Amino acid sequence: MNLRESIGIALGGVRANKLRSFLTLLGTIIGVASVIAVVSFVEGLNRFVTQKLLNAGANVFVVDKYGFITSREQYEEAVKRPDVTLEDAKALRDGVSHASLVVAQAGGSTQLRYRNRTMKGVSLNGRGAGYDVVDDVAIEEGRHLSEFDDVGRGAVCVIGPEVAEELFGKLPALGRGIRVGVYEFQVVGVTKAKGKMFGQSQDRFVTVPIRTFQKYWQERGSFSVALKSVDQSSMPLAEQEARNIMRARRHQRPGQPDQFGITNSETWLTLYRTLTGGIFVVTIGVAAISLLVGGIVIMNIMLVSVTERTKEIGVRKALGARRRDILTQFLVESTTLSLSGGIIGIMLGGGLALVVGAVSPLPAALSVPAVLLGILMSTCVGVFFGSYPAFRAARLDPIEALRYE
Amino acid sequence: MLIQIRDLHRTYQVGDQEVRALDGVDLDIEQNEYVAVMGPSGSGKSTLMNILGCLDTPSRGSYRLKDQEIGKMSDDELARIRNQEIGFVFQTFNLLARADALHNVELPLVYAGMKHEERRQRARESLALVGLADRMKHKPNELSGGQRQRVAIARALVNRPSIILADEPTGNLDSHTGAEIMAAFEGIWKHGNTVILVTHEADIAEHARRVVRMKDGRIESDHVNPHPRIAVATGGGGSE
Repeated sequence: MNLRESIGIALGGVRANKLRSFLTLLGTIIGVASVIAVVSFVEGLNRFVTQKLLNAGANVFVVDKYGFITSREQYEEAVKRPDVTLEDAKALRDGVSHASLVVAQAGGSTQLRYRNRTMKGVSLNGRGAGYDVVDDVAIEEGRHLSEFDDVGRGAVCVIGPEVAEELFGKLPALGRGIRVGVYEFQVVGVTKAKGKMFGQSQDRFVTVPIRTFQKYWQERGSFSVALKSVDQSSMPLAEQEARNIMRARRHQRPGQPDQFGITNSETWLTLYRTLTGGIFVVTIGVAAISLLVGGIVIMNIMLVSVTERTKEIGVRKALGARRRDILTQFLVESTTLSLSGGIIGIMLGGGLALVVGAVSPLPAALSVPAVLLGILMSTCVGVFFGSYPAFRAARLDPIEALRYE
Repeated sequence: MLIQIRDLHRTYQVGDQEVRALDGVDLDIEQNEYVAVMGPSGSGKSTLMNILGCLDTPSRGSYRLKDQEIGKMSDDELARIRNQEIGFVFQTFNLLARADALHNVELPLVYAGMKHEERRQRARESLALVGLADRMKHKPNELSGGQRQRVAIARALVNRPSIILADEPTGNLDSHTGAEIMAAFEGIWKHGNTVILVTHEADIAEHARRVVRMKDGRIESDHVNPHPRIAVATGGGGSE
């Protein structure tokens, strides 16, 4: 009851001085809100990445000319490497025994036209057979590209649902002729919708057979080759095989660095973790500063409150309140105060995350640990910064306090 | 013997000067006495009251309350004694502004660690005793001065203390309401309580059955009041 009374007093104070309380709690609110928002974003991203990036590309690694470039020097060195060709792809297909799939791929951007409708900035993919597994696409209507299309360098394509929608509207897409760049292609399939990823539509593409791609757009130039290992455990073996084959084809001596690049989802994950780690560090900084400021403001307001209520403290002591009763009362008050700031912050940060998640492609998920973290943080602020004022209150001499006007 | 004070000294350090607020006080008070402690300001009566109320401890000498030596007690022990043995009534009522009458009266029981239901019941009884059964949910600012002081009296009584210690209880009231409050003390005393009034007003002190006069930190005189003034509640007054 003493506890309930103290909480009641604190909440009453918050309600009685709404503006003052809001200003008092601003630091705590901002601190908690920023942590909640960022944790929610990162949490959402994490979920997203694990789901999409990893599952789609499970056990997949890519051999290409550049590999994973993180600096200009690396790029300048990589440009000089020989191109990865379709012959390389064939060699890998023939030689990597631990791979279940070897898909040559290339890509660019193009413009589509159907009658008077045009569509710009559409991803143009050249893909070898097995692309449906590696790209994780399924067919909604029609069919996938086949080995036959590839060998015959057929002018056929599979389009994403967004493309179908925009070019044909309600009309059936299959069998229609569209212009891809300047060439006439026939639509043989439309894929199932995949939605957005990092703000990029995954349904706005046109996929053509890889040799067709080579014929029309890329007589020279480098391809990349996606390899899917048989299972998780054989992935390193498959990578090693691929490396050996590629090195042999480039006549590389032992000790010489690879004249090609191999990237797998682990590489991307490492980058991703570095990025989100950075975000976390910045957030912790912002949160720490605002919580510090917020805590000092709470301490200040509690000191004012202790002074304002000196007489009350005297009365309580005269009626038999011990030091720890007074200490508890003021600690509970400061904690209630900061906790209400924390709860507002959680709602604000969570709301922000959800709103941004709803209107933008950035995913967000308000997680239970994030909420608990917010509650814990604000409680700690209340207890830590409330203890000095509470201690001062508890130490007041009852006679002096009663005399205070 | 309820209160036994022997050679009590209380000195304060003001700058390099030593102020002797109490300078050798001997005083015995029995159960169910009605005592007024009188004296001009600076006589030491406030210091004596603070020590009697266990808000302060003597610099030297002994104060025994119900055979317990107060002078050697820790802060928390003093708080417990105040809670259980002392009922304070102040000049300025000292009610918590944000709490209603019932809650104000409950407060000593909160610190006594009493359970909620029992506490409520006791506080209601105590308020009914001072005639405020119909004002329990009123906040102090919704009550008249006389009613506030009666809430304070109910609060002082609620823990069934050994001593009711009233410090200028009528100082902030008009004479009519003051008489009403004095009638309340009369009743409390008749119920078997020990009442100690601290005042500088002679006509208030006249209500007590024994008058102790203080001067310069010592007891100047201590005698039975031969003609106590009996305050009677005139009814109606103070309940506006």
